[in-house]
Amino acid sequence: MRRNYILFCLLGVAAGLTFSAIAQERPNSTGAQSAAVPAAQGNATSQPATHTVAPAKTTLQTAEERAQRLEGEKRFRTNCGRCHQAPHKFPPRVMAAAIRHMRVRAMITDEDMRLILRYMTQ
Amino acid sequence: MGNYPFKLDMQVALAKPIPRKRMQLWRGDFCPLPSENQWIYTRRIALALVLTVFFAIQTKAQTQPEEEVKPVPLLTGSGGFITTFDGGDPHLGPIVTPLLLVPIGRRWVFESRATFESDMVQVPGQSGFHGTVEKEVEYAQLDFIANPYMTVTVGRFLTPFGIYNERLYPIWIRNLASDPLILPIGLGPSNASTGAMVRGGFKANPKFNINYTAYFSALSTVSHLDSDRFAGGRLGIFVPAARLEIGGSFQHGLQNERSNAFGFHAIWQPPALPLDLRTEYARSISGSGYWAEAAYRLSQVPYLQNEFRRTQIVARMQQYFVGANTSDALPSVNTKLFEVGLNYYFMDGLKASSNYGREFSTEGNKNIWTLSLTYRFVVPLGHSGSE
Repeated sequence: MRRNYILFCLLGVAAGLTFSAIAQERPNSTGAQSAAVPAAQGNATSQPATHTVAPAKTTLQTAEERAQRLEGEKRFRTNCGRCHQAPHKFPPRVMAAAIRHMRVRAMITDEDMRLILRYMTQ
Repeated sequence: MGNYPFKLDMQVALAKPIPRKRMQLWRGDFCPLPSENQWIYTRRIALALVLTVFFAIQTKAQTQPEEEVKPVPLLTGSGGFITTFDGGDPHLGPIVTPLLLVPIGRRWVFESRATFESDMVQVPGQSGFHGTVEKEVEYAQLDFIANPYMTVTVGRFLTPFGIYNERLYPIWIRNLASDPLILPIGLGPSNASTGAMVRGGFKANPKFNINYTAYFSALSTVSHLDSDRFAGGRLGIFVPAARLEIGGSFQHGLQNERSNAFGFHAIWQPPALPLDLRTEYARSISGSGYWAEAAYRLSQVPYLQNEFRRTQIVARMQQYFVGANTSDALPSVNTKLFEVGLNYYFMDGLKASSNYGREFSTEGNKNIWTLSLTYRFVVPLGHSGSE
């Protein structure tokens, strides 16, 4: 009887955690799909996720944004990937707080922090 | 209530602490009053830190605004349930580790992490599992980002010795559920320090970055906030192109035997493979040892990619050698431990782990099985900026 009770409690906790995680994941499922790929798989040869470019932007701006995005992704995988699996993207203000925390904790450089923040909030 | 299987009985002592418990004693059991020389040494370190802060503030005007997006306070952290069979004895280990992160203005951060955990075991003659809930403030620190090269921290902070305590300790980050045997070396009681620290990282050369830490910790005997008096530092070199970091740590004790501790660490992620290689060596008067860990993500398996890319296999080998002084936090005999594990990432922040370890020591060999489910949560305490 007690074993069943313990098992029931464990299953309840597991189910709760799973549903909570799924609920958190759902709005960012697209980002999660691309970010769930492990770090080394998409190293220097990785392609950015396809996205629609606004027609008003010039080709130069688009190329610059693309370059910054690639560099930000590279810095993310190089710095954050040492300890973390690739997360899905958080809202901008959440990511700004997290990156400030990681700047102190992981001692990433100022330049890396800016590029990673830009990449993670795009 | 008497038949409740998870009742918390404050009267019951733990049968045997599981390996990953961080509540531990260190060399602070006997703390004589400091001599005059020790005070002079302490004052010199304090003066050096004050001057460092002063010059850091002087360079504040030269820095650029650091972020374009205003950060929001966060309540984050992790929760988990770890089941361990240590030599056949079952342990149930629920753990919750909330982290409060409060950015203040453009340059300040207050961060604090606490741990609530238990090690519940079966007690002969009683039904169910019993254990106490242990509470600890792991760190409560105020950070001032003085300039792009330096951050000044005051308060209670994780002792920056080696890489595991600061970077890999949270249960949702670590690859194996158990702590390395040498983890307590160089960390002080509760793995934390109370004092001041300067740290930072910068690009020293187009090919590599340097990160550094220097700190001073004062003696504290306050319950749940205890720390030893010592000073130390850590230096690391990171080569982004090779994804290689190597570094070393040093610490000088300023009480009791005034001994030194030092260590080395290395992290390498070969760019062509989803492989993490980590190793650490530490030595102190209490003992020495090393651990080496490899974790491989099965994303290169050509079939069932959705499942295999979420799967990781881990192996770790470690060895510990007893030193001249004994410590309750470290093994009492020379010990070898081999572990293999399997992790499955359901999604970001939710992970199931299992691992098997075989421990060899003169006290007897034993098997250690571990199953765990961990979850990382993030709750913004304000408008998060999402559309």
